[in-house]
Amino acid sequence: MHLPEIDKYAHLSSPFHSWNPRIKLISIFLLILSIVLNPNLIIASFALLLAIVLVFLSKIPFSFVLIHLRWVLLFCLFFFIIMPLTVPGNEIIRLNFVSISWEGTKYASLITLRAISAVLLIFPMLGTMRFDATIKALQRLKVPNKFIQMIMFTYRYIFVFMEETRRMFIAANARVFKKRTNIRTLKIISNLIGMLFIHSFERTQNIYNSMVSRGYTGYLKTLDDDFRLCGKDFLKGFFIVAIALILTITGRIL
Amino acid sequence: MKEIINIKGLKYTYPDGTTALCGIDLTVSEEESIGLIGPNGAGKSTLLLHLNGILRGKGQVQVLGLEIDDKNLISIRSKVGLVFQDPENQLFMPTVFDNVAFGPINTDLEKYRVEDSVRKALEEVEMEESAQRYAHHLSFGEKKRIALATVLSMNLEILLLDEPTSNLDPRARRHLIKLLKGFRVTKIVAGHDLEMILDICNRVVLLDQGKIIANGESKEIMGNKSLMEAHGLEVPLSLL
Ligand SMILES: Nc1ncnc2c1ncn2[C@@H]1O[C@H](COP(=O)(O)OP(=O)(O)OP(=O)(O)O)[C@@H](O)[C@H]1O
Ligand SMILES: [Mg+2]
Repeated sequence: MHLPEIDKYAHLSSPFHSWNPRIKLISIFLLILSIVLNPNLIIASFALLLAIVLVFLSKIPFSFVLIHLRWVLLFCLFFFIIMPLTVPGNEIIRLNFVSISWEGTKYASLITLRAISAVLLIFPMLGTMRFDATIKALQRLKVPNKFIQMIMFTYRYIFVFMEETRRMFIAANARVFKKRTNIRTLKIISNLIGMLFIHSFERTQNIYNSMVSRGYTGYLKTLDDDFRLCGKDFLKGFFIVAIALILTITGRIL
Repeated sequence: MKEIINIKGLKYTYPDGTTALCGIDLTVSEEESIGLIGPNGAGKSTLLLHLNGILRGKGQVQVLGLEIDDKNLISIRSKVGLVFQDPENQLFMPTVFDNVAFGPINTDLEKYRVEDSVRKALEEVEMEESAQRYAHHLSFGEKKRIALATVLSMNLEILLLDEPTSNLDPRARRHLIKLLKGFRVTKIVAGHDLEMILDICNRVVLLDQGKIIANGESKEIMGNKSLMEAHGLEVPLSLL
């Protein structure tokens, strides 16, 4: 089964890998923000180009990135089908009763370009350090503790959950359960999903018990990371934030 | 010897109405090793959960001379380590290091002392090389060992283990038994691996349907064929 391991390539070395996690998170986050809030199509195309270059610099293989991008692409395709047909505006083509509008096509392209660039940038941001380094950086950035715990436990238990799901379907298949398009199949599947929910509920209780028995009182503490800040870290940060600013400003002017 | 656990008339019913414990009386002295045996559903795990206050039944439970209540809970829990049967529940942090450090950090030790106790605990389970690995990348046996390390890193007086050897390969099992025999702390070991219990514990408590059926010297109880078979157990091969 395919495991969603975003930090599979955290061991490589690149300008992003050597970058201090905290500054990396803030800078790239600002860049993503400047891209998704940008109203200009030309800037958005440029942003996509930029994102591709940054992924290239991070040395994360594109094949790995594409695997994760496929859902985003599917989602965007959906916009591309719906929006040109539904957003009113100047017609480009008219076929009997359907008309494709220029505005709709433009919005769909804008959304697609921005979404793909943003998702691409996640890779140099989160894919170039170990997941636990991300967590510690978030903690030192004073991100709310509840939020950090949510991310952390989701990441940790997604693997357990997927394994449990897999086992359950194997068990069902072993008893000659075949997926068909009928009510019986639907019933069985919904039962299995229900069982998964109950399992996860019980699992949460057990985990909570084991946390409490080791002194957990609701606040997650970890040791601080050993990352030091140096001039280079700030330089890279300055560079990325400057790009974000330029994108924002030119996007407003053009 | 000093009495370290004292249970009187403990009763517990789960919210769904299942009565898991009905009237348990048990005392444990310092540095004793007690085996908790009994068929599936006897109440072994439930009893262990009472000893660090995760469950609270009716009756009296005293641990380290303290009554289990909200006031004493934190100090009791820092002295009583519980290792769950399923290591997946014990290893909730991303890395091995963070899992083993979780207990010590919560008792507010300084950074170098946390690192020190983590290193020692990992050495004890022979996993010191794995500190930076992810918990979800470990094999089951490795997870079991790290689960044990997560409580060894705390400065314990009582160690509670629920089926510590289940699903371990023979070598990992032997290793674990040797390890457990080496610990000087008070131990309560629940499980179905009777040879292991015979090896580690000088006293066993036989539980069935939430009641203590027998309590005494390991060889005597586990060698009693009619008693063992009446409660769904077997005499260990080494006693035949
Ligand atoms: N969360 C729960 N809710 C309701 N009933 C429970 C729960 N956990 C356990 N029980 C019931 O309580 C009784 C005692 O269970 P317990 O888990 O303590 O047994 P055990 O001796 O540990 O068994 P095993 O050897 O199978 O681990 C059983 O009848 C069980 O079905
Ligand atoms: Mg049990």
